[in-house]
Amino acid sequence: MRNSLRGKVAIVGVGQSPTGRVPGRSPLDLTAEATLNALADANMQKSEIDGVLTGNAFASSFHRFSVALSEYLNIQPSYSNTLQVSGATAGAAVNTAAAAIHAGLADTVLVACGDSLLTGMTPDMAIRAMTESRDQQYEMPFGIPVANTFAMTAHRHMKQYGTTSEQMAKVAVTFREHASRTPGAQKTELITVDDVMNSKMVTSPYHKLDCSLISDGAAALILTSAERALDYTDTPIYILGGGEYYSHEHIFLMPDLTQTGAVQSAQKAYDMAGISASDLDVAGIYDCFTGTVLMMLEDLGFCKKGESGSFVEDGQITYGGKIPTNTHGGMLSYAHPGIPAAWFHFIEVVRQLRGSCGERQVDNAELGIVHTLGAGFSTQATTILGAGSTR
Amino acid sequence: MSEAIKNVLTKPLPTPDGDSQALWDGLKNGKLLLQHCDDCGHVQYYQQGMCRLCQSTKLRHQAASGKGTIYSYSVVYRAPGPAFKDDVPYAVLLVQLEEGPRMISSLVGKNFDALDFDVAVRLTTAAISDEISLPYFELVD
Repeated sequence: MRNSLRGKVAIVGVGQSPTGRVPGRSPLDLTAEATLNALADANMQKSEIDGVLTGNAFASSFHRFSVALSEYLNIQPSYSNTLQVSGATAGAAVNTAAAAIHAGLADTVLVACGDSLLTGMTPDMAIRAMTESRDQQYEMPFGIPVANTFAMTAHRHMKQYGTTSEQMAKVAVTFREHASRTPGAQKTELITVDDVMNSKMVTSPYHKLDCSLISDGAAALILTSAERALDYTDTPIYILGGGEYYSHEHIFLMPDLTQTGAVQSAQKAYDMAGISASDLDVAGIYDCFTGTVLMMLEDLGFCKKGESGSFVEDGQITYGGKIPTNTHGGMLSYAHPGIPAAWFHFIEVVRQLRGSCGERQVDNAELGIVHTLGAGFSTQATTILGAGSTR
Repeated sequence: MSEAIKNVLTKPLPTPDGDSQALWDGLKNGKLLLQHCDDCGHVQYYQQGMCRLCQSTKLRHQAASGKGTIYSYSVVYRAPGPAFKDDVPYAVLLVQLEEGPRMISSLVGKNFDALDFDVAVRLTTAAISDEISLPYFELVD
């Protein structure tokens, strides 16, 4: 691959704000706190940041969140952008930051995002969040927010492959078990498949417990070149590969409801990293809904098309299984502050690869994947991460 | 009451643009216009200024037969905002039109027990304002 960035850039610091219900804090304030914690984690001064990439926050009126965040922290970067590819923004921002560093546009990039979806939304902001995500002419008039687009893909998967609601529920049950071991997780009380099945129907086939939480919170990552990484940490986590794919905008133009652009996104990332799915030790998979995870397990190559339901039932996405996934609890149980949610998947995979997860630690985790997606599978971004041994 | 709050209490009203004016004019007359490309034969929905496949501008509007099948669906129990609260539960449909394109619509009525994949539906339209009529689908007996 021409001029690949494999192993050229590393994550040297991760940090977060309190998550869950965090009233009285603005998205900028939460994101600034996450940034300071990431700087402390990297033993770095803020003056060393010369690039800033963020997503946007619904509960903030700033259109250029990355620029507003820089001012809030009184830093003046020479590289900045506020990205918007819905749920895939996290992966896209990390990939883009790595590319910018590799290309010399910046030496050290802060990749941060924060929002307060749970307590910080004025009615005007809630409206914006609700109405902006689907097309005003061809989708929204029929009362179809983004949840329904994912629901229809899961429904078709059930029809085509015999996937059951119980199998989808098992994803929520597994991630809740994971969250019960994670300090700061929003939901830690263990649940059963029956609890999920008996929770209120939101949009069929999804019950309330098939859906991600609504939270406040922020997270930050600091990336720098591999040459500089060891100046900051003994355990840099290297970017080994990145891939993205944007297959459609409208759900009715999704080519196949049960196979997504994650196939192409992941393949590109695997090729760059020189690995395949079976080499991976740990995964962070965007889990806006339970069925979303099932389809991603197939499309990322962990199991065959149509077999994700039994894969999850067999315990393959938890400890001792083929690919322990979302060991922090994910958006279903740890936190879902909107766009920042997938930043926590990055933080968890980094911590797993550092070997610093304590009782949540996956044995011998050296190679990890974070896959983020959004907007009814319109946007897909994959990042392969590796400990020093894999570089 | 702010403009934004008023907006959320009413359903989103499509605003026709340069690409879509013909579609909305057609729906007012009970017709769902699809775009047929005279260069490559592609049939498309939604309305664009050019063919999505070959970028030709030789597009011809032709009314759909109104026949389709349900490719997927989801019954909404929790309304996406106050404007839809009086409507729940309602079924959002992903309809496969016989001409090829798929489209998002919703089911007329609440006969959810009869809903299934690949069952036949037919087009109907209903005015939601003086200018805008929406395309809905009903189950074929």
